Amino acid sequence: MSAPAVFFPRTVAEAVELLDAYDGSAKLVAGGTALTLMLQQRLVSPEALVSLRDVPGLGGTSVEGGVVRLGALVTHTQAARHALVRAHLPVAATAFSLVGNAQVRAAATVGGVLAEADYASDPPAALLALDAEVLAVGPGGERRMPIAEFLVGFYQTTLAPEEIVTRVDVPALPPTAGSAYLKHTSRSHEDRPCVGVAAVVRSDGDGTCRDLRVAVGAACDRPLRLVDVEAGAVGSPLDDAAVEAVATAYAERVDPVADVRGSAWYRREMVQVWVRRAVHAARRAAEHTTNDQREGAVL
Amino acid sequence: MSDDLSQVKLPDDDGRVPVRLDVNGRARTLRVHPTQTLLDALREQLRLHGARSGCGVGMCGACTVIIDEQAVSGCLTMAALCDGRQVRTVEGLEARDGTLSPVPEAFLRHRAFQCSYCTSGFVLALEALLAADPEPDEAAVREAFSGHICRCGSYSRIMAAAREVAGIGTALDVAAVETRERA
Ligand SMILES: Cc1cc2nc3c(=O)[nH]c(=O)nc-3n(C[C@H](O)[C@H](O)[C@H](O)COP(=O)(O)OP(=O)(O)OC[C@H]3O[C@@H](n4cnc5c(N)ncnc54)[C@H](O)[C@@H]3O)c2cc1C
Ligand code: FES
Ligand code: FES
Repeated sequence: MSAPAVFFPRTVAEAVELLDAYDGSAKLVAGGTALTLMLQQRLVSPEALVSLRDVPGLGGTSVEGGVVRLGALVTHTQAARHALVRAHLPVAATAFSLVGNAQVRAAATVGGVLAEADYASDPPAALLALDAEVLAVGPGGERRMPIAEFLVGFYQTTLAPEEIVTRVDVPALPPTAGSAYLKHTSRSHEDRPCVGVAAVVRSDGDGTCRDLRVAVGAACDRPLRLVDVEAGAVGSPLDDAAVEAVATAYAERVDPVADVRGSAWYRREMVQVWVRRAVHAARRAAEHTTNDQREGAVL
Repeated sequence: MSDDLSQVKLPDDDGRVPVRLDVNGRARTLRVHPTQTLLDALREQLRLHGARSGCGVGMCGACTVIIDEQAVSGCLTMAALCDGRQVRTVEGLEARDGTLSPVPEAFLRHRAFQCSYCTSGFVLALEALLAADPEPDEAAVREAFSGHICRCGSYSRIMAAAREVAGIGTALDVAAVETRERA
């Protein structure tokens, strides 16, 4: 293998031009936490490394018209701690804060975890439950796609080799919504997830469910959302029996992977357990926000 | 595309590219294979052996270095991509006259190690945390220590040293406890 050339482009356009010129044989580098290991293990042998570190404008977090914009170079630590993310997307803040360990979170980026599309990841499930959209720039300009269309399989996205993820747009949760991200690890506390579940619940004052979103990560090729099951829970109270029915539906319909973190049988069991726990946690959080709001209204 | 050469590094006949680093306050230029890790470059090219190779895959913390104020894993970082950056290793915490900065000094005093393979990683993690937050609480210290594994199990002494330098509560004086036990 000949040694790759190293590039530090200064704009997104320059980076795209380089990727295009190398025609699929160049690799972008953001935090480098995944790519460095792949290179050491010789799983990839690119002809060029294109670092995004000197491209300005990809590292910001802002809110615009009720949508939180996370730049592709925002690190996991920054995303987990940012006031806007914690206030409007608490379930994402939690998922980013539970990734690996502090050194990994300090380097790993929002764009990197999405482009990598490793099934055993935390943030993608949370971003899917939040209906995030991925923005990418390529030779033909910018396109925007729902994360459900972006993540298509094991380590697979719809990103073309010459496209760059620039941003993720995430609609802020309404203040009355409750949410939770629960990560189940089966080997060590700092391991990648065996199963991770993101849940969002919004209910009326009388307990009628108005919105339910459940995304199961790390259990199959890409995070799983069953929109028909979610919709089925809306309009009636989200009592324990209803939560259990949702958990059962996810456990029955997931096509679980078997790997070092658990067999397919074990994963299916864990999907049932952790969907139940995550929806319960989100429901509790929603009850708190509604109570707070009601008390706020009385005062 | 601009043809500013600082933006492009083409490998030479040996497949190496130049990289300029500020290592512990000293400007260094080295030639590395483009995919070589920073850990490797520090140990092999610069003969700085304070950062250790433990797992090689980002899970043990033995290879921790501080790059531009951030504690990161040297095994997850490519040296060629650190061009122009400031790198601090545990060697940089010792002054010319041999005086240690407060963190390694506390680790020594508390004998917060047995084999010491993990020590430079813990020390640098705490150094970086204190630089960002001079008064961290214990949760922040524990978060900074996530991903740091001490196979010898010196965690209680490590925490005692850390609590002392971070000014958290009254650190348990392990040496005093031992003296009492021996008496
Ligand atoms: C020890 C360890 C523990 C971990 N634990 C967890 C865990 O518990 N949970 C979890 O979710 N993840 C975990 N991870 C995975 C980690 O989160 C990913 O490695 C990281 O998110 C990748 O981001 P990066 O910026 O470092 O990507 P890089 O390594 O820089 O890039 C990864 C891939 O994405 C491409 N890429 C990067 N940025 C872009 C972009 N903007 N546009 C297009 N393509 C791009 C690169 O070309 C490359 O193919 C762990 C990793 C390690 C090493
Ligand atoms: S050697 Fe880098 S984290 Fe273990
Ligand atoms: S002192 Fe031996 S690994 Fe920590």
